Amino acid sequence: MSVPAMAIKPFGPEDMARRRKRAIALALVLAALVILFFVTTIVRLGGNVADRTF
Amino acid sequence: MSDVHAKLSGLTVASEGGQGTAGDYFALLKPRVMSLVIFTALVGIVAAPGAVHPWMAAMALLSIAIGAGASGALNMWYDSDIDALMKRTTSRPVPRGAILPGEALGFGLTLAVGSVLSLYLFANAVAAALLAFTIFFYAVIYTMWLKRSTPQNIVIGGAAGAFPPMIGWAAVTGSVDPGSIALFLIIFMWTPPHFWALALLGKDEYARAGVPMLPVVAGVAETRRQILIYTLLVVPISFLPALLGIAGALYIAGTACLGVAFIWYSWKVFRSGQGDAERLACRRMFSFSIAWLFGVFALILIERMAGLPPFHSILG
Repeated sequence: MSVPAMAIKPFGPEDMARRRKRAIALALVLAALVILFFVTTIVRLGGNVADRTF
Repeated sequence: MSDVHAKLSGLTVASEGGQGTAGDYFALLKPRVMSLVIFTALVGIVAAPGAVHPWMAAMALLSIAIGAGASGALNMWYDSDIDALMKRTTSRPVPRGAILPGEALGFGLTLAVGSVLSLYLFANAVAAALLAFTIFFYAVIYTMWLKRSTPQNIVIGGAAGAFPPMIGWAAVTGSVDPGSIALFLIIFMWTPPHFWALALLGKDEYARAGVPMLPVVAGVAETRRQILIYTLLVVPISFLPALLGIAGALYIAGTACLGVAFIWYSWKVFRSGQGDAERLACRRMFSFSIAWLFGVFALILIERMAGLPPFHSILG
């Protein structure tokens, strides 16, 4: 049984640069989500944060 | 043996994936459609009775926008075969080869689930359920079924684009009310004349792609007639917000002016000749229809921002 050679194209410098930019964009989106959910938690808790009993 | 070939060719294709830029993924969200969704949902939030914390309203709006983007990505995943055949859509990321269909599907599904869950967290279950239904309606009912099977595709499918103000309203009230149904109806009835003007311009491409748009199936004359009929119907419907107590005198005056112009542009399409005259009339109708919808919803927003009182609802 003959098996054809795999035609996997290696990433060139341009591909790597594009992937890097995409990874940075994804990191920024994730960081923004963390901030958004944190602020939302604070807004939801409101004054109850200050009023809590220890 | 054939399995081996299939697996290896799969590897080859997979190795060519992952080339999409952040911009390509952003394009999957259909940003222009999304901007209209954000605006109409904002009006739904502002027009709804009751108050909501501005931050939570902003987060609800963001969730709705992402849900709309998810619909766009799922649409581009499924429609990549016919998108490749039409000039207007051939440069989209999937037919261009920048993003693989599977990547678009994964992206769309992730955003769909994320947007619905986040809207549930930021607003309520009713708004989240409406958003989930909207994504399902656009991706499955419209894209997978109606679009390729009936010339009424855009009439029924237009409901997907009409839901955002209703979702925004529900994010505040937790319910579906006559006021939000009125906002829904305006966009629902506006979509056919808006989109058929575009379909008249691209009827040859739709025919080549095998999409049964009204001009392809019923002809140009019937499409022009339908554009005029729907415009004559949507103009009186646009007064419903005033009758239902969510808009006032400024809205009535502005909507009346916009309505006259809208009917005029649809009349020009109805009476236009062939060739360049038809293309010009359709292009103007398409552009003005966007301005009309923006204007009608902006009038509600302006009244609320200016503190102008709405009329009393005929429903009491």
